[in-house]
Amino acid sequence: MFGIEIFTKTNYKDSRGEYVLYDINSSGVSKSVKKVKYCSLYIVDGNLSLNEIRMIASCLLSDNITEGYKITKYGGKNSKCYLNNIFVSKAMIEVVYKKGVTDTVSSSVVKAVKDLGINKDIKVKTGHRYYLSGKFSKTVLDNIACKLLSNTLIQEYKIKSMK
Amino acid sequence: MKSMKDCDVVEILNLSDKQLVSLSKKNVLSLSLAEMKTLQEYFKKLKRNPTDVEMETVAQTWSEHCKHKTLTGIIEYIQIKNGKKTKKTYNNLLKETIFKATVELNKKWCLSVFKDNAGIIDFDLKNGVAFKVETHNHPSALEPYGGSATGTGGVIRDILGVGLGAKPLANTDVFCFGDPTTKPSKVPKGVHHPKRIIKGVVSGVRDYGNRMGIPTVNGSVYFDHDYMANPLVFCGTMGVIPKNKIEKKVSPGDLILVVGGRTGRDGIHGATFSSVQLDQSSDVSAVQIGNPIVEKKVLDAMLSARDLNLYRAVTDCGAGGLSSAIGELGQKTGAVVCLDKVPLKYDGLYPWEVWISEAQERMVFAVPPKNKKKIIEIFKKEDVEAVFIGQFTKDKKLVLKYGKNTVANIDMSFLHDGIPKPTRKAECKIKEEKLQKTVKLTPSELLRVLKKSLADLNVCSKEWIIRQYDHEVLGQTIIKPLQGNNIEISGPGDAAVIFPYAVIKGTKKGIVLSNGLNPSYGKINTYKMAASAIEEALRNAVCVGGNIEKLSILDNFCWGNPNKPEILGSLVCSANACYEMSKAFSVPFISGKDSLHNEYSIGDKKFSISPVLLISAVGVIENVANTITMPFKNSGNKVYILGVTRNELGGSVISKIKNIKDGIVPNVYPKESVQIMKGIYKAIHKGLIESCHDASEGGLAVAVSEMSFSSGYGVNINIDYIKTADTMSAAEILFSESNGRFIVEVEPKNEHRFKEIFKGLTVSEVGCVSDNNFVIFESQKEKVKFKEKLTSLINSWKNTISW
Repeated sequence: MFGIEIFTKTNYKDSRGEYVLYDINSSGVSKSVKKVKYCSLYIVDGNLSLNEIRMIASCLLSDNITEGYKITKYGGKNSKCYLNNIFVSKAMIEVVYKKGVTDTVSSSVVKAVKDLGINKDIKVKTGHRYYLSGKFSKTVLDNIACKLLSNTLIQEYKIKSMK
Repeated sequence: MKSMKDCDVVEILNLSDKQLVSLSKKNVLSLSLAEMKTLQEYFKKLKRNPTDVEMETVAQTWSEHCKHKTLTGIIEYIQIKNGKKTKKTYNNLLKETIFKATVELNKKWCLSVFKDNAGIIDFDLKNGVAFKVETHNHPSALEPYGGSATGTGGVIRDILGVGLGAKPLANTDVFCFGDPTTKPSKVPKGVHHPKRIIKGVVSGVRDYGNRMGIPTVNGSVYFDHDYMANPLVFCGTMGVIPKNKIEKKVSPGDLILVVGGRTGRDGIHGATFSSVQLDQSSDVSAVQIGNPIVEKKVLDAMLSARDLNLYRAVTDCGAGGLSSAIGELGQKTGAVVCLDKVPLKYDGLYPWEVWISEAQERMVFAVPPKNKKKIIEIFKKEDVEAVFIGQFTKDKKLVLKYGKNTVANIDMSFLHDGIPKPTRKAECKIKEEKLQKTVKLTPSELLRVLKKSLADLNVCSKEWIIRQYDHEVLGQTIIKPLQGNNIEISGPGDAAVIFPYAVIKGTKKGIVLSNGLNPSYGKINTYKMAASAIEEALRNAVCVGGNIEKLSILDNFCWGNPNKPEILGSLVCSANACYEMSKAFSVPFISGKDSLHNEYSIGDKKFSISPVLLISAVGVIENVANTITMPFKNSGNKVYILGVTRNELGGSVISKIKNIKDGIVPNVYPKESVQIMKGIYKAIHKGLIESCHDASEGGLAVAVSEMSFSSGYGVNINIDYIKTADTMSAAEILFSESNGRFIVEVEPKNEHRFKEIFKGLTVSEVGCVSDNNFVIFESQKEKVKFKEKLTSLINSWKNTISW
């Protein structure tokens, strides 16, 4: 299983991240988050080669001018914590749909991958990752995750902290 | 019927009353004891127990959402006014009030009313206009984004499913939310913060409408603490339909084709769920997720199939899913459906789940067998999944099969007409309204109230919402939601006008859309709320050039629990207002919808919403060139007020700001209003009016200020010249919210002809447009004068919602 993260390149405006930061500050959940970097996340499962994954990330999921991508192994015991690799941040919140909830973007991706000429059966799950910098406790992160970033009725979230 | 795999037989023949009730509750059937007993009787006659599929089918068909059983049931109504009791029994409230008005008015230009998925009025020789407004409240409370998106998608499908399909041209959206400034600690557990609901709902409507390529052109937002746990989301869609495509008729032998999205567990029990009070344990599967791209493809493909006459009937899968859609289409014929042929999102669904799932973006067609191949080709071309799942029959029975097994076999007549009529009690005490103590304010206080009124959540600029929507796509929106001489400064338009020149070649006609909503009056008097909402919707349409003689309206009732007599009583009271106003204005209702049971419990506390009646108006304008906007157009022009100002501060914005306890709620005086509205249409038609705006929330002071700051021109108003019915103070004149008033701008050279039109009606010349940057109000009688810079007023108006 691969995780593909799509992020805005540093010299472009990460408007989603800025908006989330504004939301965190103005909603009164926390005043101590200093920066938020947003990545969209695609979890792709199937018998794909790294080259095919790279093609999906660069030709389908990202805009090569304003966006970059990162590919990692997702899930399992060997999944690495690679927070440092992308951004210097203190914590990451990942939000994905719960099982059984209709994920319309994922069905579009599955179809588009076929259109790319990769004729393999794959499964795709979409989600979001938010990298947060600043000073905050685990409770604050939980609040941000469930009050602002996810609706626990249909989504689940994971928090990874850096020490 | 023997027990079989995938489908259970439910024991009901030998159940006691108590057991029947608990069965209904356990399976979320939302059926009352009387209904469960009727079901039991029916199967006793058949000498067998029902299957789970049959139970669910009956529950869906008999749900409040599909059958409107409260409003069509028997209501024993008592009205108490000044200690006097009057009694009346309604056998069918809808038929005896709202629908009755339409029948009595008998307008020839009403082409299809109260029988299809939307109301249709005449547009020109060849085309009609279809309009429908729906609510999607409960899903939006749980998942604001998905709930409002599927609400929009659902009402668009209503327009696709009217007649043989109309082409959607514009969307509308109206919301009631909790106070966004509520402290997070004050939000009850399990409820989203109002601000989060607002953001989610707005983006849901935005994403669905924008992706479908349909402009969202008109709307309104009302904020009140009451709607914190139970927000109200109204979505509307207007479309055009060729007149020869309005009738649909299923013939026995027609094949049943299901088109669009696949079926999953989405929204199971949505229809019955909407009659259940919400609580924290509400089911995950009641949440629906929308996919506008699929719906857009369905739209394109079905309209080309329509124009080739490839099908005889169509309807959308809304609440109740296939069960409601096929049940409706096959009501007069009968149908056999093979549930195992329905395309699924994933395996593992039970037959009853397939049958009642509310998965989105699905339409059902009745296709004559000879067109079988051709219609599939068309859907294939647009990459839309289309599968035949059964056939309409002539035995008037609904037969469902799963593989070789028959999982349901019931009579259509029992399904549709077997529902017992409930009897409910209703009581309405008309509160006595007292005139407030005279409100006298100093000039500085008057200015402070004006700025606070402009900044009030229910008056302030909704630009943050409006600009997220694409209101220009299709290029036919000629009167837009925000109007002004500059992008930075734009005022609130009264109504939107669509010029459908791209769809109907060579036309000069336009379609006006507007709405009226006054929940704050409803807290005191629901009769006046309903009457005011109707007048406001009509006023708004008239302001831009709408013809009162060609307007029609839609009702959307959102009420609390109808099992409580006082709540149902207030509903009956407003339904009576609908009848009387519809008759008095000679404006027919063409469609409507109700959402009852808007109640939410957390722990022992119960949150019940204040009643809301949304009135949406739609009308045809003869010539779109004769439409106008609300900002002032030129300095030196005269400002007139049409209509009488009365001492009516009940439920007003000023009463909230100044905490005024008493006050009369604005009443409606249709006799004079109708004449003024007719006059305005005439005057606009003759080019005698430069701008026009109605006085509603916040009264004259707010309306004049809006016209002024959106144009960049100042204005001088002499309060003494404003015609009033009673002796009133300057504050009362400026902030009273009396209905029936318009502020119009007239060029000096047209004054004579303008006055000629309004002879015998209340017209007062109150001031003129100036080229300085000030709004000035003055009364020599009371010796008050206050003025304020336009920029300062704009800032008060614009800064409340800018997230």
